[in-house]
Amino acid sequence: MSVDKDETQLRLKAAVHYTVGRLCQRMGEVHRREFSRQVLAAIAETAFRQCDIFAKDLEAFARHAKRSTVSSEDVKLVARRSTALSIYIQNKSEELNQEQRDLKKKNAGKRKSRDTEERAENKDKTKAGL
Amino acid sequence: MADKDAEIGFKKETVSKLLSSSFKEDKTRLSGDAALLMAELLKVFVQEAAVRSQKQAESEDCDQVDIEHFEKILPQLVRSSKMGF
Repeated sequence: MSVDKDETQLRLKAAVHYTVGRLCQRMGEVHRREFSRQVLAAIAETAFRQCDIFAKDLEAFARHAKRSTVSSEDVKLVARRSTALSIYIQNKSEELNQEQRDLKKKNAGKRKSRDTEERAENKDKTKAGL
Repeated sequence: MADKDAEIGFKKETVSKLLSSSFKEDKTRLSGDAALLMAELLKVFVQEAAVRSQKQAESEDCDQVDIEHFEKILPQLVRSSKMGF
C-alpha cells in the first residue's frame, strides 16, 4: 500500500532529522556557532536525498561484482571520491573486521577451555575407575 | 571523559531501511557491515555539511549559521559525493 510506504518514508525522514539535529547541536557547542532551524532541516533533507544516490551507487557496484548483497567493499567505493573519507571508511572497516576476529577468538578460546576441562574430568573419572 | 562524538550517530536499522527503500531491485540486500559503514559515512557527510556551513558563517562574520551559508557550500559538498561524470 502506497500509504504505508509514505508513512515509512516520513518516519525515516524524521529519524534522520533527529540525528542531524543532535550532531549539529554538538558541533554548535564545539565551534560556538549554532544553526538556524532552517539549516538543520536543509542538512537533513540533503542527507536524505544523498542516501538515494548512495543506495543506487551501492547497488550498481554490487551488481557489477555479480552480488545481490551490498558489502563493505561497495561502501569503500562510494567513499573513494574524497580521500579523507576514503581513509576514514577504510579504517572503520578494519576496526569492524578486527572486532569480529577478536569475537571469534574469544568464542574459540571458550570452547578450547571447555574441552580441556572435559578432558580433565574424564581423566579423573577413569582414575576413579568409572 | 568518554568520547561524546561516538554516542551520536545514525542507527544501523534506520540506515538499512533508508538505503533499501532506494534499491531498484527487490533482491538487493545490504550486509550488516555495509549498513554500519554507511551509518558512519552519513555521519561524516552531515558533519562536513555542518562544519563547512559554520566556516562560511564565520567568514561572513555571522554569529549564527543561516540558510545562505549552507547554500553556498552545498554545491561542493554534493559534488564530492556524487559519482558524476
